[in-house]
Amino acid sequence: MRNSQITEQERQKAFESKKKAEVVERQHLHVRYHIEDMDVSDRPKRFLTAFAAILRHTNYRFALEHFIRISAKCGRCAVQCPIYTATGDVCDIPCYRSELLLSVYRRHFTLGGMLKGRLLGSGYLTDEMIDEMADTFWNCTACRRCTMECPVGIDHALITHLGRFILSEIGIAPRALVVSTREQLEGKTGNTSAIPLPALIDTLEFLEEDMKEEKGVDIKFPMDVQNAEYLFTPAVSDFLMEAETLMGIAAVFTATGGSWTISTEYFDAINYGLFYNDRILERVILKLYGQAERLNTPKILIGECGHASRSAKQYVPVHCGGKDAKPVFNILEYTYDMLKSGKLKLDPSVITERVTYHDPCNLARLGWIVDKPREIIKAFCKNYVEMTPTKEENICCGGGGGIVSIDEVRSYRTIIGGKAKADQIRATGAKILIAPCANCKKQLRELVEDQGIDCEVVGLHDLIYKAIIFE
Amino acid sequence: MQEFIDFCRGPLFRLTFLVMIFGLIRILILDIWGAVEAYRNAGDKNLAWKSAFIKTIQWLFPVKHVVARRPVYSLISILFHIGLIVVPIFLLAHVQLWKTSVGIAWWTLPYDWANYLTLLTIACSVALLLGRALSKTSRTLSRKQDYLWPILLLLPFATGYICANVTVSPSMYQLVMLTHMLSAEVIFIFLPFTKIAHCVVMPLSQFVMTLAWKFPARIDKKIAATLKKEGQSV
Repeated sequence: MRNSQITEQERQKAFESKKKAEVVERQHLHVRYHIEDMDVSDRPKRFLTAFAAILRHTNYRFALEHFIRISAKCGRCAVQCPIYTATGDVCDIPCYRSELLLSVYRRHFTLGGMLKGRLLGSGYLTDEMIDEMADTFWNCTACRRCTMECPVGIDHALITHLGRFILSEIGIAPRALVVSTREQLEGKTGNTSAIPLPALIDTLEFLEEDMKEEKGVDIKFPMDVQNAEYLFTPAVSDFLMEAETLMGIAAVFTATGGSWTISTEYFDAINYGLFYNDRILERVILKLYGQAERLNTPKILIGECGHASRSAKQYVPVHCGGKDAKPVFNILEYTYDMLKSGKLKLDPSVITERVTYHDPCNLARLGWIVDKPREIIKAFCKNYVEMTPTKEENICCGGGGGIVSIDEVRSYRTIIGGKAKADQIRATGAKILIAPCANCKKQLRELVEDQGIDCEVVGLHDLIYKAIIFE
Repeated sequence: MQEFIDFCRGPLFRLTFLVMIFGLIRILILDIWGAVEAYRNAGDKNLAWKSAFIKTIQWLFPVKHVVARRPVYSLISILFHIGLIVVPIFLLAHVQLWKTSVGIAWWTLPYDWANYLTLLTIACSVALLLGRALSKTSRTLSRKQDYLWPILLLLPFATGYICANVTVSPSMYQLVMLTHMLSAEVIFIFLPFTKIAHCVVMPLSQFVMTLAWKFPARIDKKIAATLKKEGQSV
């Protein structure tokens, strides 16, 4: 990764807070993102109570015990972090960030730490420490590059994930995520974008008419089909912002004779729980799985969205019966299989511009979906270039870990979070940037706009829609 | 003086060595026990064993990672680790001690190699210490033990080298030998209780990472009940 830091001017712009002074005063917390008003009394005690409850009912304790034994503070993670590389601020070094929570664990939840703390009368969790955690844990884009590069094997992403979970239990979580999740789990519309069902149906009918006009083929969005093979659920924002991606997916299913359905009761795969709270994560997973059971679909298929795919892939088995749970796939896997089986045909003469591919961290970091999208792209885009580094070692778009949904930190995302990515995109000289993830696409569009890069950001199925051949 | 040296070489060595061995075994058992519990609680028991195993091997023999990033730092760190492991175990003088006291022996390093490796380990130790002290980033991350360990590890190597190669007066030799043994024994005692414990539990890290993301099933209501948040809005 290029080791270039931001200028002082960029720093000021990136960290500029739009929050009113009276809000900061009232909430006793100076963070860039908005939070809802919460109980500000005795936060350290409430933090420790929440921490204890979480440790009691989860698996985190064994991992924390392991991490405090091996933490060597070598600092190797620093060079891997796109945020630290851009800011040069010590608080952005993954190891430093992890130590904020590990020190609380060591002091309050280990015998040695408790004895030492009592004897020396020191180390008790303070409001200032909570402030620092609330700030730095939300600077991180949860891309997990640091985790890959830790020689002793400390999972900084897991520690940040846990830190956000505990903070959210005392009311500290970005308002944008909390409000959307409340609508998804308790609101009338039942999805994070608050799309009413009639509006969804209208949108899909409109798209069907469009596709008929453009392709001359009846391409449908099947709804509530019992016993279909796949329950298809995209990030719900796709229905508002990524019509071409959805059209591409519908076209692939039509061309390949696939059996799929969208549920009208619940059609949102977004799971912000992955970013800030395991209890929310579980509730969203159960809601999604409930639809697969209602419609009796044997498989769950997630659209072009990294975090939604990873959360469903990882946590449907966790909460819905282990190996007996219905399997989860990402749409790229389906499309790849269809291409390889010869059912999907793509015209290689349609896309002539230079294209490049951005690996969404949640798909590529653990090696889940890496080569399949590349093979699809190479099947019809002749002028394809790779970014460097790429695949499992990709660089985050700068909006990962939920921060893309926090609009008030856009300048932070595009000046700091996406700095390394912007350099990568420029270096490819590509005119089309493919990013099969709703979050990445939103962030990358804002990034190319703010950084003045001449490049169009699209989903993979947007291009497939243009090149698909119906026989 | 000689009596004290004999005490350090005999009972004190045995005691501190056993503290280290049992301390490390304790940590290993605690670590594995924690992982077994976590595995039992995990809602999904399908772990990426193979990938975790490959990553473990890649970090135990980190050739790939040296080439990829921070080559100078990585190389120094690796040579340092090789020296720390190889010299104390395969030094002829050490093996002879084992042979006379316990009756077991194994392959030993040629004399010259042992010397070069000792000097290399000392140099790497100094370089790592300087690297830590001179970099602002590293200084911020560092705790006391992070500075003390390179110094402490350097001591038995430097004194061992003097004993083997430098002609000094008998009383000075005794003093250096005493420092050599005492520093090693201090290392033995603190090793299982500090970051150096990674020498036994580090091979488990990749499995811990994989397993830690496998949460127990249905924790929402349990945590809500403990925190008295049942029925509360999001």
